[in-house]
Amino acid sequence: MEFDKKLENKRLPLDAFMAERNEVLQAWPTGQDVDFEEGVRTQQALPESKRFSAALARAERDGKTLIQPRAGVALVDEHIGLLRYLEPACDLLPTTIDAYTRLNQYDKAAEGIERSAAAGTSLLNGFPAVNHGLAECRRVVESLKKPVQVRHGTPDARLLAEITLAAGFSAYEGGGISYNIPYAKKVPLERSIRHWQYCDRLVGLYEEHGVRINREPFGPLSGTLVPPFVSHSVAILEGLLALEQGCRCITLGYGQAGNMVQDIAAIRSLRELGDEFFRAAGYHDFQLTTVFHQWMGGFPENESMAYGVIGWGSAMAALAGATKVIVKTPHEAAGIPTREANKQGLDCTAQVLNMVREQGFPPSPVVEREIEIIKREVRAVLAKVFELGQGDAALGAVRAFEAGVLDVPFAPAACNAGKLMPVRDNEGAVRVFEPGRVPLPADVLDYHRERVAERARAEGREPVFQMVVDDIYAISKSRLIGRPR
Amino acid sequence: MSQPTAVLGVIGSDCHAVGNKIIEFALSQAGIHVVNLGVMVSQDEFIDAAIETGAQAILVSSIYGHGEIDCNGLRGRCMERGLDHIVLYVGGNLVIGKREFGEVEHLFKEMGYDRVFPPTVDLSNVAQCLKQDIAAAA
Repeated sequence: MEFDKKLENKRLPLDAFMAERNEVLQAWPTGQDVDFEEGVRTQQALPESKRFSAALARAERDGKTLIQPRAGVALVDEHIGLLRYLEPACDLLPTTIDAYTRLNQYDKAAEGIERSAAAGTSLLNGFPAVNHGLAECRRVVESLKKPVQVRHGTPDARLLAEITLAAGFSAYEGGGISYNIPYAKKVPLERSIRHWQYCDRLVGLYEEHGVRINREPFGPLSGTLVPPFVSHSVAILEGLLALEQGCRCITLGYGQAGNMVQDIAAIRSLRELGDEFFRAAGYHDFQLTTVFHQWMGGFPENESMAYGVIGWGSAMAALAGATKVIVKTPHEAAGIPTREANKQGLDCTAQVLNMVREQGFPPSPVVEREIEIIKREVRAVLAKVFELGQGDAALGAVRAFEAGVLDVPFAPAACNAGKLMPVRDNEGAVRVFEPGRVPLPADVLDYHRERVAERARAEGREPVFQMVVDDIYAISKSRLIGRPR
Repeated sequence: MSQPTAVLGVIGSDCHAVGNKIIEFALSQAGIHVVNLGVMVSQDEFIDAAIETGAQAILVSSIYGHGEIDCNGLRGRCMERGLDHIVLYVGGNLVIGKREFGEVEHLFKEMGYDRVFPPTVDLSNVAQCLKQDIAAAA
């Protein structure tokens, strides 16, 4: 459906929301079973140990970094078996949704379920929650002892939200920008932002009924050399959009870049900037946490080398003080892991977190400087976003992508300019080598250029696209920086 | 001989864009004219583009694990549309789970793909194979 009214960052009126809801629930037969009041009762009946927001609050209080895997298979009993297998090795559980469901292709997901049942193994890369429907999703939550989050990549996640939240999932990943730009090709940004306003409004309705659902904008975006200020700007915008619809429990995310100073500075600045922008917009009663994603780019095939990447990411998550860490597996280079490999990634992560837990990164002028740079970048970009949107975050986001002010490297979406080109500096931090039309302050841009030039001199070559390609493959070939061979 | 032309894309509902951009870059550098359809390309879109551009090859990528479902039947559809001698390559993380590459290669060759590549393949080798296979098919 298209929308009569222009996109704006305003809470959706209840009557308009309810009218839209009738249509959403008719998009697939399983939508008919959803009853909001029953969903509220299901959520209220969850013990505290199964509530995502409570687990996050406890972790914040204790200064602990929680562990969460990704996992999802085609069939319900197999999915429950997988999560039960992983449950003792982690703090928070996921349900990763398959790629057909993410694009609302429920007929294809149905074929995937059938073929998986026939093959005796999952042919889908996740759990098709909409096809399985409310009762089966509820059975997943009931079979587990820990909080479960829906993790996906869905530009129109309205029906998925209705079904899974009514079933007792207590956290929902995604956002109108972060689940469009890296996950879709031709979905207009206005449309995905509007569809996510619906999801956020639904979470807001649960909040009004005393049920706190955690919302997590997807931090890493394309997962490929994304400078922290780019993902921070998107995360903060999505946080603002969620708060406006009534969400109160927000987890802002960031994908590991690989340079220690930059990664620690990124998580610290993300938390402080989130707080700054949310309060400046007039919100004060929110619960803000952070998530650090272990390296989202290409992994080494060799499993021992992959453990090295996982361990380093775990150390950074702990030193940076992230509230939770999303864990990779030794099978990452080959795609979807076996459950054994998935658990091995969790065990590796737990070992490092437990060893680093009592250690803080010492006060450091180098980290402080990096934090200041990221903050100035984010403030400059978001100032332009709000200027373009005449003060409105939703409209500003759409216009900023059109103008190339917000620009995510290596993203598939047609509405993304793709003019900004990142590259690593001589210490492996991700810098901007070609800013495109992103409005960074002149002295900050000079700093980026100096750092890239320093590397270029060290390698005796110009910073051209080949250097970027070398960086993209570097970690899978056992290095952080793609030096010439 | 004129410059070889290949249609490139990521099949099905797969949105992995990074490798796609790099394959385009590497094959273009090797002197191949690349018609890049980007991510989320259907079988018919591959074939339409190959017919429109007179391409001698279709290069299919799949990273997200649904390759067994998405890639099946492309050879048959090419035949139906008159692309009798087109070179078909497939590469990426083609199946769910870590399986022996030889097994995966066999599975996709049975589907009618001329060559099957793991994600770690050196792209200059792909370019070289492609030029040879196109010359042999002509």
